[in-house]
Amino acid sequence: MTAEHAAGGPEALPGSPGPGETPYALLAATLEQVAGERGKLAKIDRLARCLDSVADEDLSVAARLLSGAPFAEWEQSVTSVGWSTVARAASEVTGWDLETIGASTRAIGDLGEAVSLLLDPGAGGTLTVAEVDARLRALSGVRKAAGKIEAIAELLRLSSPVEGKYLLKTLSGGLRIGADVTTVEEAIARAFGADREAVARAHRDSGDIGETAAKAKRGALAEIEFRLFHPIGFMLASPIEHAEEVAEELALFAVEDKFDGIRAHAHKAGSHVALFSRTLDDVTVQFPEVAVGLALMPGSFLLDGEILAYRDGRPDSFFRLQRRLGRKAPAPDLIADFPVAFIAYDCLARNGRPLFEAPWTTRREALEAIAREGPLLLSAAGRADTPAALERYFDEARSRGNEGLMLKRLDSPYQAGKRGRAWRKFKKAIGTLDVVVTAVEQGNGKRAGMLSDYTFGVRDGERIVNIGKAYSGLTDEEIRRMGAHFRKITVARYGPVRSVSPDVVLEVAFDTIQKSNRHHSGYALRFPRIVRIRTDKTPAQATTLEEVEELYRSLHGDPGSGSRPE
Amino acid sequence: MDSTSALTRYVSEALSPFLERRDTGLHAPAFDAAIDPHDPAPRAILTHAHSDHAAAGHGEIWCTPETAGVYRRRNPEWTGTARLLSYGEAAEAAGITLRLVPAGHVLGSSQVLFTGGDRSLLFTGDFKLAIGRTAAPAESPRADVLITETTFGLPVFRFPDRRELERRLVEACQDAIARDLTPVALAYSFGKAQEVAAVLTEAEIPTVLHGAAWKLLPDFEAAGFRFPISRPYEQGPPAAGEALIAPPSCARSGMVRNLRRRRIVYCSGWALREASRADVDADVLLPMSDHADFTELLAHVARVGARRVLTMHGYAHDFARILSDRGVEAVPLPASSERPAPVEER
Repeated sequence: MTAEHAAGGPEALPGSPGPGETPYALLAATLEQVAGERGKLAKIDRLARCLDSVADEDLSVAARLLSGAPFAEWEQSVTSVGWSTVARAASEVTGWDLETIGASTRAIGDLGEAVSLLLDPGAGGTLTVAEVDARLRALSGVRKAAGKIEAIAELLRLSSPVEGKYLLKTLSGGLRIGADVTTVEEAIARAFGADREAVARAHRDSGDIGETAAKAKRGALAEIEFRLFHPIGFMLASPIEHAEEVAEELALFAVEDKFDGIRAHAHKAGSHVALFSRTLDDVTVQFPEVAVGLALMPGSFLLDGEILAYRDGRPDSFFRLQRRLGRKAPAPDLIADFPVAFIAYDCLARNGRPLFEAPWTTRREALEAIAREGPLLLSAAGRADTPAALERYFDEARSRGNEGLMLKRLDSPYQAGKRGRAWRKFKKAIGTLDVVVTAVEQGNGKRAGMLSDYTFGVRDGERIVNIGKAYSGLTDEEIRRMGAHFRKITVARYGPVRSVSPDVVLEVAFDTIQKSNRHHSGYALRFPRIVRIRTDKTPAQATTLEEVEELYRSLHGDPGSGSRPE
Repeated sequence: MDSTSALTRYVSEALSPFLERRDTGLHAPAFDAAIDPHDPAPRAILTHAHSDHAAAGHGEIWCTPETAGVYRRRNPEWTGTARLLSYGEAAEAAGITLRLVPAGHVLGSSQVLFTGGDRSLLFTGDFKLAIGRTAAPAESPRADVLITETTFGLPVFRFPDRRELERRLVEACQDAIARDLTPVALAYSFGKAQEVAAVLTEAEIPTVLHGAAWKLLPDFEAAGFRFPISRPYEQGPPAAGEALIAPPSCARSGMVRNLRRRRIVYCSGWALREASRADVDADVLLPMSDHADFTELLAHVARVGARRVLTMHGYAHDFARILSDRGVEAVPLPASSERPAPVEER
């Protein structure tokens, strides 16, 4: 495909998209092809060719829609609508009752896909990218459920099945085509001959994949300036279990306690504060005392840190923090009974200047400068010269109520959204796995009738492979709450067993890992028990099969390599 | 409790006098035979030879000659006897007539039609109305009561035209070969595998068959089908220009994985779900099914013209509800014994 529209004017060929007239069908067809491609390069290629063929006027919108996000992150607009709203709209358009729509969704595993199979194959074909954008924007402004249903129904009436599929996927918050926003960044770089890193940086700074695409096409990525108040990926750490693993490099690292809370980015300018969680959700209203405290600080900044249960100048257990998670506008007595604090450990921007590329030491100086200007809890940063010193530091961190240590390379930039070796997390227990629940069933005895038995798996590429089953370590109240959720995300029922869509992440502790053909992963856990529900993690952040294999090898020695690594 | 026993009474009444619900499944008392029982039975009426319908070890089986042939080949140690009933041939007992009617599902598959007095009942077993290559096309005889399978009993399950699917299959294989990739058709060993082989044979694409599918070819040849450019995998992996036909359970086996350059075509009704792509690592999803889709289920109900419909398998509850909404008297057939279904079954 070439950009024939560039010639523009009335002599443009019929069917070639003129300015503002790019058909949405082009995007939907591309997304369908991307879903069908197995390799990442092929996916990038499909996206790049599509971006290249879109008229300049439509490029920003097209890039956003291809990434599955209808609006720029900084816009803070949400189109995400509940299942029942979409289902009602689908029912209105297809004529099928809600029960059939529900059963069909469970059978197919995805609402958008199910509805596309119910839409008239001859319908649609007139929607333009600009019109989709306008309609989604109008929809995000609608408050009342009836109005939302009508707006979605109208959109569906204008859609072909494949357009309807991707519009509904966009509305329900995920295209699920094996292409994430990084894939789109790479496609932009490919389409317009831009540097991949520059595209990623521009997207991170602008919070808008659309603006990034438009500027990349004009060769003007450098014009993009850093903006606050849009979610940015978190820099992640690689795990270590023994001080010896970093013995050679200790001089290169700063050492901090590893807190047992939830990661958060705090954006602040004037009296405006926003807190984003690791799932990139805005959680500001859940922690008003944190937001108010930060609002009183001078200047503008973007901090990385941890929200944790905090009492009497000391971290408290994660279980107590859990009482605060997911609660919008917590009541004053809940805040008083379960106080939290934000402990800052990195500074990514200060007074309009982004610091992502600056080394950790510079960012730490900025952080300490901010802390001198107002009350801000800082994570203490120290050094350990020898493995023995690191071990002592570890024990002290534990006695301070923290779960281990973080090691951060002094010279490392902040790699948003990446897990690298510049940061290490030092945790000691055999460990826990972050697993994804794949099936649930009713318990026996006291818990008969409750969905208390969970089958869970780890990530193997795009799949989840089962690794174990646990009888819940959760409280009855939690089981009931989870049960209601699992009923909603059930995709199939096999007698007493409900297969659920991979959505819930659990942290599971265990005694050891064994090889076993009982589960698809080829491993089984000895005495698995649920430590907690990781509402702060998405299935994409769950433990991988590779990590399990590595853990197994580290526990049992690698029979393949013959010798055990020291 | 009341509604349960009312339902039980209703179902018993609908089945009478042809069938009864027993612990072993549906039973035809006039012939003292169970229909497709899960466990070995003294006498079993088999609608077709798929293993979930034709358990090993029955004393006596009543079925079409083709079904008996495949049953014997799949159970070489079996020592029981077979009463062969060609399509349309009547068996009579206690004033009741039993006939096997083509089901269009796989080679030898049948529906079971009971008539007696002024009543009639049709048990579909697995069926499809779409016309394939290797199964006699299904018929839809009139009956008062219909027991229909509902594997795909939801409106989302509508398969493209069979010829269109065959065209896509050939195209996917030809395109793969042109790109120096080995086409791998994932297809169940009895029925689908031979369908795929027949279609590819016509397109002059040579096929290599997994052993489980290969060993059944004599039964297809006895029925008049020819596979001149097929060979067993046993003789070696596919060479350039050949397509491999293997069951979906082999998707992650060495047989498939050892093919460095491959294109996997998943041939199953479940391929309608995008999620099935990840299940079998499929490159191409080809919803070619041996079961009736939603439209065919409705068409069959209409043609049979039954006063009462009982639904079983898959979306039995939903399909019965949808029929009831359209004014057709329908209830799901209650399972006679609760069998826990395997969770990871595909």
